[in-house]
Amino acid sequence: MCFKNLPIEFDAQGKAHLKENVRDPYSYETRSLDEQADRIKELLARNGHIKSVDFDPVTRVAGALAFHSIVDLKERRVVEANSMATLFRGYEVILKGRDPRDAAFISSRACGVCGGVHSATSALAMEMAFPVKPPPLGIAVRNLMLALEFWYDNPLHLFLLAGPDYSQSIVQLTNPEIWEKAKASDAPRVKIHGFRMISDIMAELNPLSGALYLEGLEMTRVAREAYVNIGAKYPHPETVIPGGMTTTVTITTFNEIFARLRQLFDYCKRTVAIWDDLCDFFYYANPEYKKVGARPANIIDSGIWDDPFAYDASYENCNEWGERRWATPGVIVDGQVVTTKLQALNIGVEEFVEHSYYETWDSPRYTTDPAGNPISPYHMWNKQTKPHPTGQNWREKYSWSTSPRWDRHAMEAECSARLWTTGAANILPHRRFLEPTGASLKMHVPESTLPEMELEWKIPEIWNAFERNRGRAYHLAFTTLVAFDNWLVGMDLLKQGYDQVHTPFETPRKGSQIGAGFWGAGRGYLTHHATIDNGALSNYQILTPSTWNACPRDPWGNPGPYEEAVLNTPILEEFSSPENYKGIDILRTIRSFDPCMPCTTHIHVDGADHVILREVNTCGCGLDE
Amino acid sequence: MPVLIAGVGYHHLRDLSVGPALVPRLRRLDWPEGIEIEDLSFGPIAVVQWLEEKPGYYERMVFVSSVERARRRGSIYLYRWPGRLPEAAEIQERIGEAVMGVISLDNLLIISQHFRVLPAEVIVVEVEPEDTGWGLGFTPCIEAALEEVIETVRRAALDGYNG
Repeated sequence: MCFKNLPIEFDAQGKAHLKENVRDPYSYETRSLDEQADRIKELLARNGHIKSVDFDPVTRVAGALAFHSIVDLKERRVVEANSMATLFRGYEVILKGRDPRDAAFISSRACGVCGGVHSATSALAMEMAFPVKPPPLGIAVRNLMLALEFWYDNPLHLFLLAGPDYSQSIVQLTNPEIWEKAKASDAPRVKIHGFRMISDIMAELNPLSGALYLEGLEMTRVAREAYVNIGAKYPHPETVIPGGMTTTVTITTFNEIFARLRQLFDYCKRTVAIWDDLCDFFYYANPEYKKVGARPANIIDSGIWDDPFAYDASYENCNEWGERRWATPGVIVDGQVVTTKLQALNIGVEEFVEHSYYETWDSPRYTTDPAGNPISPYHMWNKQTKPHPTGQNWREKYSWSTSPRWDRHAMEAECSARLWTTGAANILPHRRFLEPTGASLKMHVPESTLPEMELEWKIPEIWNAFERNRGRAYHLAFTTLVAFDNWLVGMDLLKQGYDQVHTPFETPRKGSQIGAGFWGAGRGYLTHHATIDNGALSNYQILTPSTWNACPRDPWGNPGPYEEAVLNTPILEEFSSPENYKGIDILRTIRSFDPCMPCTTHIHVDGADHVILREVNTCGCGLDE
Repeated sequence: MPVLIAGVGYHHLRDLSVGPALVPRLRRLDWPEGIEIEDLSFGPIAVVQWLEEKPGYYERMVFVSSVERARRRGSIYLYRWPGRLPEAAEIQERIGEAVMGVISLDNLLIISQHFRVLPAEVIVVEVEPEDTGWGLGFTPCIEAALEEVIETVRRAALDGYNG
């Protein structure tokens, strides 16, 4: 029984159906935010130590994110938090009416960092709709390229975006007592990363001048060099299309990539050691840091990297091919994996817009998925995007992000969810370098300059900002091993003479087709849902990891993951007066999610074909408490 | 020593695309040996890494781009990049933007200066755009200015800022 809130149950064959005698199974009652807003307003008016702290924009994140918080500086706690996606994008409307073959190229532009993941997700959605199944080498090469993309993403976050929050320049300013402890603390993993003291690590995380910051920048080059061997260019690849890839791969291509792969073998060992030392140090220096960014481990991941010999692009078989992925798909509720079936994951997702700048929609087109499982009127195959930026205040609407929910839970999307689902579910078929244990995921990283090493990511006891960052460091190792495994699979296929990377297909010109791409971005979960009518895209919905994470309150008033994590964050920063308060604990929390807003919000404008003409001001500066 | 002419900007953003759009037109002109023309619209950090491969190679660089600075639309500005850097926090912010996909002439100049990959003489030719929306082609005021932009770039490349 994976659903507790939605009235869905499964028969003996595992097929889902709605519970009998439930009237209006997806109906719900909304809860007003007025009471909470009134209480906050009163608190602010009565107490000088309760302060409104706005981060607009939140810096060192991709795209436009603003965050509004009310902090009680005396009690050192956050009493209110609102996450705002302040800009919208128009990929749904751009894609509507287009030739489905364009979708992979256009949707790639949703992000300037991880365009390839959108190309791949779109290609998968089209493969399901057309249908067409790529040849094994096409799948292996796609896996390889989409693993390489995370070599750009993860170091960028760890050393350029979130990393500075743990640097000497920030720690010394916000928590001098922690800096003093860092100067007196040995770094236990010095033999791997080369830094004797914790303070040495922090110094090298300093922006612009620190060796780790500069190395992170340099690694973006290694990632791009490897990536363009397959994708032709970065960040928007030219070679990912439905049915596989369009690039010609040879032994030379693979050798060029391996030259970069070897560099990652060492880099990921060092990255893991650095973040293990940093996280462990903060817990030792002040155990209260375990509460920073903490929230229940409710996490969703659509899985990624298909088995070249199992993936058939069909929805009917997606439970089977999904479970053969290198990253097992899954839903984690309160730390427990409740399903690894893509269909159960898919039918449990709904998107709500009560506190987003959109109208609701009528006339859902589908009541079931292609396998006959029930889906909600709020499911992406039914969703229509109707922008409506009115009622801008904390009680009504305050974000361009929707509120996705699974079984009506606020779920978090995370790249380390892949470690969690794969490690906990323990059904991984690819064990050349990876070893799930049920409580951890062991990774056997080959020798390079550093010796061969076993890294073990353990399911954390508490899910917080530090574990997100630590998980991202381990995810870099995971990604490197998936890349190497697929590199070996690809080389083996080439040696056997199987050099076909693409299956020809016909684009359907009549009737209706439906498809979904289940894949993943640098930050985790990514899906594209598409419907095609008479050869043109009639609806296209992109659900990104940062939509899950940055979402506003849901219809029941429950906060989204950023909001919930910030509300649980104690204020540990040292400040002499409210004016000196920087909000570092809140910022560490938000940045630990690796926010990426460009792809978070999408609009559809009724009656317009491709250009959004309305100007609206949706920054948080004018909103009432 | 070689001279680099570089177009910078987004493609298909109407008047904001003058930089990359002029690259093929500039390449069609007759140039003496040593003039190299590139589209450097691939992100400031990648450009820095590209230039790091050839330290001291260029004697002079001429950047051409359209930039919104609330000036008279279609007007052309020629200036020598002074190489002054903003505060460290701003440089950091611009690097953050660069690695997340933002293409901008100012970011490129500041980041390249920070990483010391620019030659002593850097000349910028800017044009003030009118239409910055999505689409192909230029507005008439930009179209009318293009020949002068090209000539300004040509002279800056051949003769330098004081030439």
